[in-house]
Amino acid sequence: MFKSIQKLVTAATEQELPLSEVIINQEIQSSGQSREQIFNRMKKNLATMKAAVERGTSGQGVHSATGLTGGQAVKIKAYRKNHRTLAGDAMMAAVEGAIATNEVNAAMGVICATPTAGSSGTLPGILFALRDRLNLTEEQMVRFLFTAGGMGMIIANKASIAGASGGCQAEVGSASAMGAAAAVEVAGGTPQQSAHALAIAMSNLLGLVCDPLAGLVEVPCVNRNATGAGNALIAADLALAGCTSVVPADEVIEAMDKIGRQMPVELRETGLGGLADTPTGQQIKLKIFGKELES
Amino acid sequence: MSENYRSVFDIIGPIMIGPSSSHTAGAVAIGRVARQVLGQVPRRAIVNYYESFAQTHQGHGTDYAIAAGLLEMDPADPMVPTSREIAARTGMVIDFKEQVGPSPIGHPNTAILELIGDDRVVQVAGCSVGGGVIEVRQLVLDGMVVQPSGPLPIVIYQASVADQTSQKRGQLLVNDLEWKAPFIQQQRLVSPTSTIWVFDLKNYLRDEMRQYLVDNYPGVICLEEG
Repeated sequence: MFKSIQKLVTAATEQELPLSEVIINQEIQSSGQSREQIFNRMKKNLATMKAAVERGTSGQGVHSATGLTGGQAVKIKAYRKNHRTLAGDAMMAAVEGAIATNEVNAAMGVICATPTAGSSGTLPGILFALRDRLNLTEEQMVRFLFTAGGMGMIIANKASIAGASGGCQAEVGSASAMGAAAAVEVAGGTPQQSAHALAIAMSNLLGLVCDPLAGLVEVPCVNRNATGAGNALIAADLALAGCTSVVPADEVIEAMDKIGRQMPVELRETGLGGLADTPTGQQIKLKIFGKELES
Repeated sequence: MSENYRSVFDIIGPIMIGPSSSHTAGAVAIGRVARQVLGQVPRRAIVNYYESFAQTHQGHGTDYAIAAGLLEMDPADPMVPTSREIAARTGMVIDFKEQVGPSPIGHPNTAILELIGDDRVVQVAGCSVGGGVIEVRQLVLDGMVVQPSGPLPIVIYQASVADQTSQKRGQLLVNDLEWKAPFIQQQRLVSPTSTIWVFDLKNYLRDEMRQYLVDNYPGVICLEEG
């Protein structure tokens, strides 16, 4: 098991293999399963992600039981069709996929956690936008997920991917960093460029708190996945352009871990601080649960 | 640096019903392992929540997730959100309690389950560390407290004092695992009625190894990630 991004990048560079191949080989070795078995398992995850995006962007879209979220993805879809978007179509395609997935999640639909359910829109948002932008094959999309997953394993073991431990930087921040690294690979970048993209994407979301209204995975979670997806594309483009992160990826992950530990409990998935503690946030909590939650 | 995450599929996955991997999918996993430890249908369950779980269990669907786990449901089962009604129909009584103060096992996403079966009572203290992955940090079996290091897999084997064959098997299991599925830690507890072995394994169990354990050590419990 790789203990650092640098060790993974060095292994890939020395073996002259893409990151995804090194990660696939590691998974074959540790699980005792065949390449075909683990590929098929990842294809199933990919199909789940695709189905969630389709569900969120079809018809009237999906709406959560509370009515707090839903229907945004279909608005974005129509907007992309009828307007010249400011950010460009690839960016808005990523945003649409990200929001669609998290709307399905908030409505208690089926999603694939990547790395978590709260951040489950970020990776599919990036992936399906790149599928259309770069004409990715299924094999390339599966490889994207292995690269993202391998990077995510290192982040999760070195720091955390739980909002209750590290805030939203650990969830959407990690998802965005994983996606940026994987995007670089499918676009033809080097393993070292993937590491830079990861570092840049995570650096840009450091300090992001987890402050869900009424403790629900709805507001601001859904829109934050849009930001995670967009941020990943920016970071990947920066790395592909030859821009680098001054602080190496492993140190950025360590900083994320430390920041999480310094974060007050109100801002770590308790629904007590930040946006949850605004007058609107409190009003919504009262309306939904009818009483102050016992604490 | 932890080693909670040992597969790419811990990160890309699980496939699950929303809304939260730690508070929903992870909670299903805590319910499922608690039921495995009890080894029978719980008649009654008391679920004690701490910290983030205490604050957000309602918004995150943690109650139905724990109930789904106690019913041995998969986290992707569309029936997960209705599990509390299913449990009630089957006569399973579940109480949820929001506990004040820090988690006794030191994690913000903590649920401590007391399960009462027909002839057995156990306590399982689990925490959901992110992305659906869980740890079991304390177990109370036969009145004995055992503290595994946390990450799964954890292998438990219990042999009644009167049953010489099982007692011998327990000894054999130690040697067997050393060779075939190395462990980080081994604990052996002795009560007036039984001996219990608890092993924290280094690696995820391969399918053939799990089958081997089940075939050769009847009653062995393998707590694993879903």
